[in-house]
Formats: sequence, C-alpha cells, structure tokens
Amino acid sequence: MSASLDLLINALVSGLLLGGFYAAVSIGIAIAFGMLDIVNIAHPAFILLGSYVAFIGNSVFGIDPILATLIALPAFYALGMLAYQVYYVAFERRDDQSLRGLSFFFGLLFITEVTLVLTFGVDYRLVKASYIGPSLNLGLFDLPLRLLVPFLVSMAMVVGLQLFLSHTFVGRAIQAVAQDQQALRLMAANPIKIKRIAFGLSIGTAALAGAFLIIIQPVEPSIGREYIGRVFAICVLGGLGSFPGMVIAAITLGVAESLTATFLGPSWAPAVAFGILLVTLAVRPSGILGR
Amino acid sequence: MASSLTVANLDAGYGAVRVLEDVSLRVGAGETVALLGTNGNGKSTLMKSVMGIVRPSAGSIAAEIDGTTYELVGRSTEDIVDLGIAFVPEGRRLFPKLTVSENLLLGAFRPTARTSIARNMDFCFETFPRLKERARQLAGSMSGGEQQMLALARALMSAPRMLLIDEPSVGLAPLLVSRTIDKIKELKTGYDLTVLMAEQNFTQAIRIADRGYVIVHGRIAFAGESAEALNNNDMIREFYLGA
Ligand SMILES: Nc1ncnc2c1ncn2[C@@H]1O[C@H](COP(=O)(O)OP(=O)(O)O)[C@@H](O)[C@H]1O
Ligand SMILES: [Mg+2]
Repeated sequence: MSASLDLLINALVSGLLLGGFYAAVSIGIAIAFGMLDIVNIAHPAFILLGSYVAFIGNSVFGIDPILATLIALPAFYALGMLAYQVYYVAFERRDDQSLRGLSFFFGLLFITEVTLVLTFGVDYRLVKASYIGPSLNLGLFDLPLRLLVPFLVSMAMVVGLQLFLSHTFVGRAIQAVAQDQQALRLMAANPIKIKRIAFGLSIGTAALAGAFLIIIQPVEPSIGREYIGRVFAICVLGGLGSFPGMVIAAITLGVAESLTATFLGPSWAPAVAFGILLVTLAVRPSGILGR
Repeated sequence: MASSLTVANLDAGYGAVRVLEDVSLRVGAGETVALLGTNGNGKSTLMKSVMGIVRPSAGSIAAEIDGTTYELVGRSTEDIVDLGIAFVPEGRRLFPKLTVSENLLLGAFRPTARTSIARNMDFCFETFPRLKERARQLAGSMSGGEQQMLALARALMSAPRMLLIDEPSVGLAPLLVSRTIDKIKELKTGYDLTVLMAEQNFTQAIRIADRGYVIVHGRIAFAGESAEALNNNDMIREFYLGA
C-alpha cells in the first residue's frame, strides 16, 4: 500500500475520533447558545476546570481522569445552575442580555483562568491512564486509544442527552424555552427553572469534555481560548439546537483539520475549518440540520 | 365537581395606562360564557389578568376548582395553569419549531396531566383527525386553521377544569370559524369544562354561549343573562349589527 494512502486513512480515522472530542466540547454550547440563547463564551473555562479536576483526581487520588469528572458532575451541575441564576438576576431579567451579558461571561472566563493560574501555575499538566499511549492496530489503520476512549464516552453522552431532551417533560421544555418563554408558562412550566436545569447540564458536559481534553493533550490554563471560535463554528454549522447536526459538524471539522494538518501542515487547519463553515452557511443558512 | 370563576371589581392596565376599570364577572360551573367586545376594549387584558400575565392593581379573581377556592391575583402563570386553568392565547403561541406531537406533549407538562396523556391524546386526535395526520410535522408549517386546532388540543392536554380562549376566530376563513366554534362546544361537553371565550365575532360566539358580557372601554357595559338577551339588546345591535 502506498505511503500516502496509508497517511490518508490514518488522517481520516484520527479526524473522526477528534470530531467525537469536538462534539463533547461543543454540546454545552449547543445547549446554552443553541437552545437557551445564552452566549456563554466562558464555556472553555469550565472545560479547563474539568481538566484540572481530572488532573487532581488522577495525580492526587490515582483515579481515572474520566471517572474523576464523573464524580465531580453534580458539583459542575450545581455550578452551572448558580452561574445561570446570577446571569438571570443581573442581566436576563432586566432584558439586558446582549452586550452586558457577554461581558458577564467574559468576566467569568477571565476569573476562572486567573484562579487556575494562581492555583496550578502556567506549566502544562497531564494525566496517566492505561489507554494513553497504546493503539489498536487494525491492519489498515491504527486506533489510538487516547482518542478512541474520549470518542466513545462523548458519543454516549450525546446520545444520553438527546434521549433526555426528546423523551422527558423537562427535556421537551428545554427545547421549547427559547421559542416562546411566555407560552411555556402556559404549559405550567417555569422557564427560569427550565433554563437553570439546562444550563446546569451544559456545564456538566464541560466537566467530561475537560477530562477528554487532558487525556488528548497536556493542558495549561489559557488553552481553552483556542476552542472558543471552533466550538461556536461547530454549533452554527450543525444548525442551532440540533445535536445530530452538531455531531456531523464536529466530525466534519475534525476530519478536515486532520487532513489539512497531514497534507498541508497544521497552520492551515483553522483556515480550512472556517472555509467549510462559510461555504455551508452560504448553501444552507440554517446549518446542516437546522430546523 | 364544580369549577367556576369570579372576577370582582378588577382594575388592571399596563404601567400608567389603566385599561380595565371595576370589572366584575362570573363564569359558573359548566357554563360557556362569552366576553364580547370590538378591538381594543380590554378582552385580552382581562384574560391575561386571570392568567397572571398582567398584574391587576385592584380587585380579586377567585377560581373554584373541584370544590376548593383559590385567589389568583399574585400567583404566577405557571401556578394558575397548574391549578387546572388552561389558556389559549391570542396568536395561539405554539412552539413553531417543535412537531405537533411535541407541542401536545408539552401541553401535558402539568404533573396532574401526565397520568392521563394517552387518553387525552386519543381524544385530541379523535376530535381533530388532522392533527394525527400531521403529528410529526413542525407546528409552524401548518395552516392557520390547523394551528388553532393544535392550540386548543394542546390546552386540553393539561387536563384542565376550566378553559379560557382568546378570540379563536381571529385570522380564520368564515367556514373555519364556525367549525372551530363547534369544536369548542364539543370539547366543552366531552371534558365537562367551564369556558370563558373572548370574541369579536358576536354571531358565532353566541351560538355556543350560555351567557355573555359586553366590554366597552374596559368596563362591563352589559351582562346578558342568556343568548337571547344578548341578541335582543339594543346596544349590541348598534355595535355589531349596525342596526
Ligand atoms: N402590552 C400593552 N401595553 C400597553 N397597552 C396595551 C398593551 N396591550 C394592550 N394595550 C392597550 O389596552 C387596551 C385594551 O387592549 P386589549 O386588552 O388587547 O383589547 P382587546 O383584546 O379587546 O382587543 C388597548 O387600548 C390597547 O392599546
Ligand atoms: Mg385581544
């Protein structure tokens, strides 16, 4: 087999797996921005918080990084509910969400980063796990377990959340809340409570995404910023509010970045990613699966 | 069991603008009462006050639901709906990007309604076969008549004891108006509901109403104790029939 075909297949496979990780990073924004109209640019900071929880769980208590963030999940959920409550009282209730709301989340991003720098310093941190390092050799290509494990857990999380949204009363209310808050009250649901739950879930996903991030690469406190543009691009590309669209967009972006990095060099990757975004939106303004 | 609504000496408005002045009315158990009046006279404001969307500045709104009396003023909209009072608002307010069945299931968010979803869904589909055909379609893509059917069905999914409907005829073709009014009567009978319906369309409303009130500039101008009394009233003739 030719070397370039081998490269191509391996780039495709790692792009696909990387896409699974991007889906985990984006799903919180797909909820907050896509379903609640909340531009939470601090989401990457919560993901970093998840990475450091995984780091502490792993380096201090010797437990698996993913398990560490699963244990911390209720705390992240509560943190998300608290963040929404503050945002609601200070901005949303006053019909003032756009610009000052954005500055609230920018502040949150900044505070979290500074706290992480003061606590952990700016050194890169990493975790140890049996699946970091080895690959499954499947003849045609290698499956790096470091990417495969986050991919699988991420897909399980997306499927779980999708089932929750489409099969529970609270889930359906979350899908409805941005469309007509007053009408939701007429369904006997309190939209503020619904949004608080949804935002708690959104931040909960950041914990797991943080574990995936530190499994895939060493992290330092400001690394989350690299993901802000990419994450919003994925959500818009997929179609706001659609998880399946978001997953397709995440995988498309992962594959595109991986192919460009392999054949053109890593510095081209962002240009190609945003090129895809622009072309898709020109053809389909509501995204791949936007309603 | 009996469910009724008593509004007493209600004042309400928007900010400094007073719309309703000293409004009193009653909807007895099992009655269908029409709230009649041309555009801008305060029908919607009254309905919104009952539903906790507009805060009255004076007066009281008491609802008796299955034998227990609740004061509605000061309660949140979601609490009022949870008591068993459903509202079909002006403009229908469906969730346009959700499917017909998702809209119906949201109607059953109220915990009391969740146990009877299958039965209520069957009833809605029986009454509005069109909704069954369109169950998987997005609500926003349906015609005005279908949307009005869905709004009514969604309100019923909350298993209410009392139903408030704001101008069901608005935006519908004449044939659809009479069909919608017939459906309201059918739902009322099928579910043993107490109904308050705001309408501009006097002739249609009076077909199914037991009684009615005429509201002019935010005051009750006339209380008709029967459809006949309304029909024979001089002021109404002047207002609606140009006679
Ligand atoms: N949101 C609002 N803010 C200010 N004034 C309003 C508002 N809604 C209605 N009004 C005014 O209240 C009066 C009664 O309106 P409304 O209750 O909607 O009447 P109707 O339903 O009988 O057409 C009108 O003069 C209208 O302009
Ligand atoms: Mg009105």
